[in-house]
Amino acid sequence: MAALLEMRGIVKCFGAVRANDGIDLDAQAGEIVGLLGENGSGKSTLMKLLFGMMPPDAGGIVFRGRELSDHNPRMAAEAGIAMIHQHFTLVEAMTVAENIMLGWQDAGWRLKRREIADRIRETSRRLGLELDPSARVGDLSLGRRQRIEILKAVLRDAELLILDEPTSNLAPPEVAELLAILRHLRAEGKGIIFITHKLPEVLDVCDRVVVLRAGRVAGFAPVAGADRATLARMMVGRDVPAPQNLSGSGTGATRLSVSGLGGAGIGPMDLTLSGGEILGLAGVDGNGQLELAETLAGLRAATGGSVMLDGRDITHASVSARMTAGLAYIPADRSSTALVRGMTIAANLMLRDSARPPYARRGWLTKRATQTRAAALMQGFDIRAPSPAVPAGRLSGGNQQKIVIARELDRNPGLLIAHQPTWGLDPGATHFVMERMLALRAAGAAVLYISSELEEVLAISDRVAVLAGGAIAGIMPRGGVDMAQLGLWMSGRAA
Amino acid sequence: MSDALSATPATRIALRRQGLLPRILGAVLLSFIIAALLIALTGHNPLTAFAAMLGGVFGSPYQIGEALNRTSPYLLAGSGVALCFRAGVINIGADGQIAMGGIGAAGVVLLWPGQPGLLSAVAAIIGAALCGAAWAGIATAIHLGRRVHEVLVTLLLNFVALLLVQLALAGPLGQPGAGFLQSRPLPRADWLWRAPHVFFHGGIILGVIAALALSVLLWKTPFGFAIRVTGQSRRAAAYAGFSAAGITWGVMLTAGGLAGIAGGTEVLGLHHRLIEGFSTGFGFKAVTVALLGALEPAAVIPAALFVGLLESGALSMQRQIGVPSALVVVIEGITMLLILAATVRRA
Repeated sequence: MAALLEMRGIVKCFGAVRANDGIDLDAQAGEIVGLLGENGSGKSTLMKLLFGMMPPDAGGIVFRGRELSDHNPRMAAEAGIAMIHQHFTLVEAMTVAENIMLGWQDAGWRLKRREIADRIRETSRRLGLELDPSARVGDLSLGRRQRIEILKAVLRDAELLILDEPTSNLAPPEVAELLAILRHLRAEGKGIIFITHKLPEVLDVCDRVVVLRAGRVAGFAPVAGADRATLARMMVGRDVPAPQNLSGSGTGATRLSVSGLGGAGIGPMDLTLSGGEILGLAGVDGNGQLELAETLAGLRAATGGSVMLDGRDITHASVSARMTAGLAYIPADRSSTALVRGMTIAANLMLRDSARPPYARRGWLTKRATQTRAAALMQGFDIRAPSPAVPAGRLSGGNQQKIVIARELDRNPGLLIAHQPTWGLDPGATHFVMERMLALRAAGAAVLYISSELEEVLAISDRVAVLAGGAIAGIMPRGGVDMAQLGLWMSGRAA
Repeated sequence: MSDALSATPATRIALRRQGLLPRILGAVLLSFIIAALLIALTGHNPLTAFAAMLGGVFGSPYQIGEALNRTSPYLLAGSGVALCFRAGVINIGADGQIAMGGIGAAGVVLLWPGQPGLLSAVAAIIGAALCGAAWAGIATAIHLGRRVHEVLVTLLLNFVALLLVQLALAGPLGQPGAGFLQSRPLPRADWLWRAPHVFFHGGIILGVIAALALSVLLWKTPFGFAIRVTGQSRRAAAYAGFSAAGITWGVMLTAGGLAGIAGGTEVLGLHHRLIEGFSTGFGFKAVTVALLGALEPAAVIPAALFVGLLESGALSMQRQIGVPSALVVVIEGITMLLILAATVRRA
């Protein structure tokens, strides 16, 4: 049987950068192909070419026996290719059924609500999607919204589904459910291209894996018989050691002391952090992580309690006063809080320090000193871009996050609040971030590491706390981690 | 807002490479072709009409001066509006701020008579700026204090300002028995400086200085950086420690002050008295030139010049060969639409 999709010798250059340099990729019906690669390895470019968002410089695409060239996303969708992005394209104020009808030819001119609802219910049951056609999208979790996108694709007779990092926004149980849905789709004979950084998921669900590195196919393998270390090595081209938390320190003086802190969605909670300590804050996303991080950083008002940093009361201090006091903050929302995508790398590096030297002197911005500092930080933190004048939004997720980290660590903070700092990063970049956290700890700073990736929290923390329902459910030292207890805390049941 | 509006120096160069200038020139050309068709439809020869237009702008030093005087309020108010838009504050209240500036200038001169010339002129301009800024300040206070959208506040205050002008003209500043609402004439000693031979008044000079100063503010100072960040992402601005309220106050008071000066120079330099409705429509022209200048204060200079010259020429076309005045407005609108369409970057 001919392949469902065949891409041959795909080349795409952006200026001097060969984003795709002769890539071959194929996919069969009833097969899940994992597409792995570091940030910037060319995965997104390849998928954009496939979906017709831009034309390749060379190479050919054959889909279901027909040549696809000079196509646009609409034609790709009509041919039976569906792309499910990380960010969904749904109208939150409308119901599931209404969202599915949007822009759908089969919906016809007259809205056949009942008929559509029945089809949604039937397909949803068959694939295990558990979607209620009359539910309002705004009320649904991210996992459910993603299923709407999948359902949209299936109802529009897509034969090939491309999922771009589909699990990065999901809580662990939702990930498991998504993987089950993908197996259903495979059983129905759909082809699936699954783009991810997360090796366990690849090993769990994929039949075959293709690894890209620097615009080329670095390797491909059937998943049976592959292991994590092999795949990780293929991705980055070298061994990636797991981050080692060597010293079990945390013996320094108390740096952060939170008592009775309350605010919208959190508290009251108590928390202390010593110099040279990493406190990992685990828990399912949406249990007050954002609220806690933003309250500590000064972006939300505390309604009660106190926050002391190095003996100074910063409970009601402004954002800049907190920075002066030594507080650094890596927000989880990279694209609109931590960075200004339309502004240059240099501008983003000075984002929170623009009125201070070296970026400003005597009330004027210093152009040359800013460029010098930006170039130095780009080198020191391995931010890969042609120049500091490139808009930050053009960089890959990993390089964007390095800008944030460079900026926050360059201030030599006494306390770092890192919220999901490795979100969407490949193993190499994740490793880099973790190493920096450990280096910061070695320098005597305190780190509050907030993440829903339990594995990461366990790897890096000196103590592990669990946030559930806006409160600290419990804290345990890393040496004596009791997984069962952690699970109980995370599920919100009191021990 | 589109990326073009957030242009950093490097991307501005890139834009130039992408051929923004040819596109603008193409838009101008296209608009002239459409204008020619419309003129032909009214039974006039388009070539004669354009000749009249050119002559109306560059025909004599006096006409050049008149075109520059038309440009002046657009430039002053437009560069302030550009600053506001950069910060994401949609100030469409230049109309009212200009009107208040007119009241301020006329008020200082008429109610505080007999001062030596220079002191009087400076005091009148300062009075105009303060009145404009105060008007913008009221809008800002309502916007920030009561969370009313700035578009609504600034728009509605325009009508109030218009009525205040009428009130002032019916009362303390009015000329009794004039038959319509206007103030007593300003004494000749208090008129704004005019260039010899060319007859443009000082407003255009103040406008150029203001636009260049705002450009420096925007690109060379930490406050300008904060404005640019705020306009791009409120969340990032809060994270960076910038006060959205402080920035809104800053840009609104600056823009209001400049619009006030625009009104003041109209009164002191052009009409030599306060007239009912002298400011009507200027506020929206200010928004137009700000957008034409891609919200870059320095680029508002050519944008305002273009609109000022176009209007001046169109009016003279109307006077000389009788192209109906409504058509003049239509031509103006088409030209601006085409240029805006040509400068917006595709997503």
